[in-house]
Amino acid sequence: MKKAVISGRNLSLGYQKGDRKREVLHGLNFDLYTGQLTCLLGSNGVGKTTLVKAIMGRIPVWNGKLLVEGKELSALNSKELSKTLAVVLTEPIVAGNMTVGQLVSLGRTPYLNWSGYLSAHDKQVVEEALISTQILEIKDERLSEISDGQRQKAMIARALAQDAPIMILDEPTAHLDLVNRFEIMQLLHSISQSQNKSILVITHDLDIALETSDQLWIMKKKEKLIAGLTEDLIVKGLIDSLFSKEKIHFNSKRGKVELENKLAKLDFEGDEYLAFWIQKALGKANIYDVKSPVKIHENPFFIHYEGLEFSSIQEFVAFLFLGE
Amino acid sequence: MKISRNGILLAGAFIVLIFSLLLNVSLGSVSIPMPTILEGLFSGSWDKNSYEQIILNYRFPKALVAILAGVGLSISGLQMQTFFRNPLAGPYVLGISSGAGFGVAILILAGSIFGFASNAMNPWAVAVAGTMGAGLILVLVSLVAWRVKDSMTLLIVGIMFGAAVSSIISVLAYFSGAEALKLYTIWSMGSLGGLGWAQVTLLSVVILLGLIPVIFSIRAFNASLLGESYAASMGISPLKLRWLMIISTGLMSGAVTAFCGPIAFVGIAVPHVARIIWKTADHRILFPASALCGSVLLLLCDAIGQLPGSAQSLPINAVTSLIGAPIVIGLVLKRNFSKEF
Repeated sequence: MKKAVISGRNLSLGYQKGDRKREVLHGLNFDLYTGQLTCLLGSNGVGKTTLVKAIMGRIPVWNGKLLVEGKELSALNSKELSKTLAVVLTEPIVAGNMTVGQLVSLGRTPYLNWSGYLSAHDKQVVEEALISTQILEIKDERLSEISDGQRQKAMIARALAQDAPIMILDEPTAHLDLVNRFEIMQLLHSISQSQNKSILVITHDLDIALETSDQLWIMKKKEKLIAGLTEDLIVKGLIDSLFSKEKIHFNSKRGKVELENKLAKLDFEGDEYLAFWIQKALGKANIYDVKSPVKIHENPFFIHYEGLEFSSIQEFVAFLFLGE
Repeated sequence: MKISRNGILLAGAFIVLIFSLLLNVSLGSVSIPMPTILEGLFSGSWDKNSYEQIILNYRFPKALVAILAGVGLSISGLQMQTFFRNPLAGPYVLGISSGAGFGVAILILAGSIFGFASNAMNPWAVAVAGTMGAGLILVLVSLVAWRVKDSMTLLIVGIMFGAAVSSIISVLAYFSGAEALKLYTIWSMGSLGGLGWAQVTLLSVVILLGLIPVIFSIRAFNASLLGESYAASMGISPLKLRWLMIISTGLMSGAVTAFCGPIAFVGIAVPHVARIIWKTADHRILFPASALCGSVLLLLCDAIGQLPGSAQSLPINAVTSLIGAPIVIGLVLKRNFSKEF
């Protein structure tokens, strides 16, 4: 059985300015487990960052309990907390003069004395962090000279060097290209398993979160936090609760988010998946009625329609468009 | 064992500092040959009594003041730049120089208006007035620092205090006589000379006191390079660092300004020069590097300001800005400035 390292019990959080109190989150219940990658999903403004701030100890708990390894979070001092929890934030790093190695070494800060001298053990931990994030070879390069994906890996390595059982990352894949997004999330997933860490990732990349996370937390405004095994939530149809707008929905068969476009009625003969993409293209062109049957030939691809042949979907759509 | 590039550069900078010191001491309106100076310093016997007077009681204290001011201002500037994560921050952003200026303005300008000025350019009187002014502003800024949460607010408040105090000085200047105005203007141009051994000793003690908090916050400054949130997540207290920084820069730049006047440019520029030369963001290197660069810069600027061979000399502020600005512009254009921070 996996152990819960962070738990919320009927947790309420918010901000206070003078006498005015604004409650952002109410009655949250959750558990973050060791050795698992958990993704926190929710639209902008539901309070994801507020929850992270509370877990980082930067804002007080209003009501309920926030437990870290069984103890009240507020009972930990900043030094103990820094050895329990490491973070990767959205804040940009301005120190371009720093090398990747120096950045990762900063992760050792909680263990150092005032002079910042790194012991042999500290250096070894830093090297291991560089190796497990696959950036050892760019150790001496400056932060201003590496790519965004590499910089994000360096930030993850810094958090690893902090040697804390819990890691929280706030949108680590923002600004990255698709390949890097998958790579970063895959990396986090493998770290959570190989180093038995609890990793919580706040993200807006639903597709990648579904692909890589063990647990999913879904936050909605003024509603309870939905938590569970990723696949359980898919099967129960709970992913759809992320979308309040009716036009967008989650297709649990395809595992992806779709615009609910009306699809053209198509009387076809041929491969179903090819017909699907033809329907999609027709839907974008606002063509919903195809009078005659369509024959789709797969290899080589062509469309047979009313005695004519089209070698691409574009030609077919253009023909129908002119015909109307 | 591998000797690091940073170590070699620091040793090199130290040698440059020794040469700058000797050069500074040997130049002046009276030309004294270098061998004579070295012989006098090491054996204690001088060819002429006047040489001993000039070297030991005028040029040497002045060179020491240049070094102390260089150390104090550069290290204050570096702390401010890292803490506020702002490349344009300097030792004076918290209003310390305006505060010292305010104290001196009260002494000289208000003194002339209300008729209590006597012997206004006595260095002790000026230093006491400057210290009191800088201390007053520091107390006010600290009261605010106690209340505000983020460092950017503190920065803005510091600048606003400076602006408010400057306007009071302008009012005083408007109503004061030509004589007092000139005295004040000369003070505001900065001066490394004119201090006796007693004052130099006091300045050294204050600078050393100001360096103590710096030594104990090297780790915290390094972590602060990533911003307050990251620093806090690594167990660093930004609030504690803020107080150490206010005490340290208050002592160092406050004392320098009280004794030498507001010396422009050094505190902002030198940390950048150190970053560019040493190519590092590590404060274990940057603090000593900035101190060395600042000392060398002020010694050389002072040497140039002597206008060697002539009886005239230029105010130190004119020289630091005139010589230093092109150097920094050159360095900055050669390397990409924003990436070096």
